[in-house]
Amino acid sequence: MTSTDNQKSPTTTSIVVGHASNAGRWMLQGGTIVALIVLVLFFFLMRPDVFLTFVNVKNILYQVSILAIIAGAQTVVMVVGDFDLSVGATSALAGATAAAAMLGGWPVPAAIVLALIVGLLIGLLNGVLVAYLNLSAFIATLAMMTSVVGLAFLVTQGTTLFNFPPEFNELGQGKLFEIPLPVYFAIIISVILWFVLRYTTLGRRWHAIGGSVEVSRLSGVNVRRARLLAFTIAGFVSAIGGILLAARLGSASAVQGEDNMMFSVAAVFLGMTIVRSGAANLVGTMVGVAIIGVMSNGLNILGVNAYVQQVVTGIIIIAAVTLSSLKHRER
Amino acid sequence: MRTSIKAFAAATALAALALAGCSSGGGDNGGGDDTTPPKVVAFTSGNQTPIGAWWVKDVEATAKELGWDLTMIQGDFDFQKMNPAVESAIGQGADVVFDGFTDIASIASISTAAKDAGIPMFAVDSGTEPNDAFALNITTDQQGIVDQTMGAISDAIGGLEGKTIMVIGHDPHAGIRMRSELAAEAVEAAGATLAGGEIQQVVSPATGRTEALALVADYLAANPNGLDAVWVGWDDAALGAVQAVSEAGASAVVTGCDATSEALAAIEAGTMLATVEQPWPLVNASVVDAITAYLESGTMPSSNFEAVATTLVTKANAAEITPSDKLG
Repeated sequence: MTSTDNQKSPTTTSIVVGHASNAGRWMLQGGTIVALIVLVLFFFLMRPDVFLTFVNVKNILYQVSILAIIAGAQTVVMVVGDFDLSVGATSALAGATAAAAMLGGWPVPAAIVLALIVGLLIGLLNGVLVAYLNLSAFIATLAMMTSVVGLAFLVTQGTTLFNFPPEFNELGQGKLFEIPLPVYFAIIISVILWFVLRYTTLGRRWHAIGGSVEVSRLSGVNVRRARLLAFTIAGFVSAIGGILLAARLGSASAVQGEDNMMFSVAAVFLGMTIVRSGAANLVGTMVGVAIIGVMSNGLNILGVNAYVQQVVTGIIIIAAVTLSSLKHRER
Repeated sequence: MRTSIKAFAAATALAALALAGCSSGGGDNGGGDDTTPPKVVAFTSGNQTPIGAWWVKDVEATAKELGWDLTMIQGDFDFQKMNPAVESAIGQGADVVFDGFTDIASIASISTAAKDAGIPMFAVDSGTEPNDAFALNITTDQQGIVDQTMGAISDAIGGLEGKTIMVIGHDPHAGIRMRSELAAEAVEAAGATLAGGEIQQVVSPATGRTEALALVADYLAANPNGLDAVWVGWDDAALGAVQAVSEAGASAVVTGCDATSEALAAIEAGTMLATVEQPWPLVNASVVDAITAYLESGTMPSSNFEAVATTLVTKANAAEITPSDKLG
């Protein structure tokens, strides 16, 4: 009887422990979103006249739009449980390919298609190496990154290519309702990836493989083909990012946007903390991208030294990975 | 078994003799004998940059013309790979070491190896100050670059006093570090305000354009029309600043340095105020002359450091300048 009462009426200690545990779980679950809100509030309080103005919010969106696209590509691969370290290099090569083709007299649409094919082929090759030749994704994509950077140097001949047709530059510099076009592209691509990951059989298969390759195989999922597709799509989407970066800057070089690889992985890790499963997810990745963008913009506005910014960025990534690993342990 | 051991020993002895034959004549001092071509070990870490790539081609052509036995080592900014390769080449015997665009701070072990072997080191743009490691290092006059660009800014905005000027640099590059420090000093000395209170740093040259773009865009978002000029240490980042100014609809003028074809086009289009041409072909030719004099007669240069004058490039003369990325 007593024990039954105890079960029905928890003691004060158990309530406190329960609350503490709930708070901890809430911190794990919502830490990244809370971090984003805290960052926005902090920078708003520091510069209320600037931070949330239309001009500055537009700035932030513009600055993170390319990263959002490349982080979307990285999310697809990380959902499957792999990495793609070549996304930044692929985007640079795609931009350089489009640039070289246009300067060689190709029409803009043909140059863009060529660059997309290059990205697709690199992704396909990554997929073959990882899914069919069973190479570690880390090693395969690291090696691919090295070769792709070399190819980009060959394509650009070590120089910066520029003087593109205005209609190409318009893709990266044009505006619709005062919002730069890359922001729309980033939103469209993110929505498509989110839809594929959440509502299609392929997306569910990717999630299943990320959860357990063996269980997926035993459930009849063609794991190799699904992983191949994930890498191929990542290459293709990275190429879109690279083309837009070339259009946004009006130039293309072999190492353009090389920090996108690291930041894309960081954004995915940041986003992994916002779902209960601790898995890579598109919405979370976009929250991660927003944190990176807000932090960089806010620290610039406050005039914080670039080296300090780099230290802070690294610390935030470590915090995100720690949160993510705690969540996995909790599972 | 014994036969194969004997064959192996004979092959080894032959190889050793052949190698000894090949290496004879190395390590001679200047004014070496007439029969063997002088051995020159040349290296650059910047072979993936347009100017570095041009330098490699130019030195290779010079070696062919002058009959040097050239070993060219290209480092791809990987000093862990490049330095031992150069040291090994020095160890195999050389008459001269020729450094192209690699800062002395990154090649201390090469400098030691050359000194130990008694081989003089000549350089193009390896550090901005005199250094005993070199028989000769010719670079460009950093103070002159700052005077020219700040002068152009001053003319364009009606004097520097009371104005706000952003200085963007990149400390790991010795030349850019020195000229951006000199630029910041010039801003303050003229009674202008240094935007952000210090030199704004670009972390990686690979992302210099996007970093400079974000720095200027964010500053202008926080301080609309708060910039009169942006002084940038090199053209690629300057072009990012140009884009940020243009997108913000601001009137700040932007200067760079290097005279790349893209910067020249921006100057001609009126979106960028000025850049600076550094006469690398002339500099390289002067260093080659000094090397030739040493190899022929053992004559060492009278001074181990020279800083040559540069040319300010504005809309008036942009069309006449050979872009630095089109030298080769």
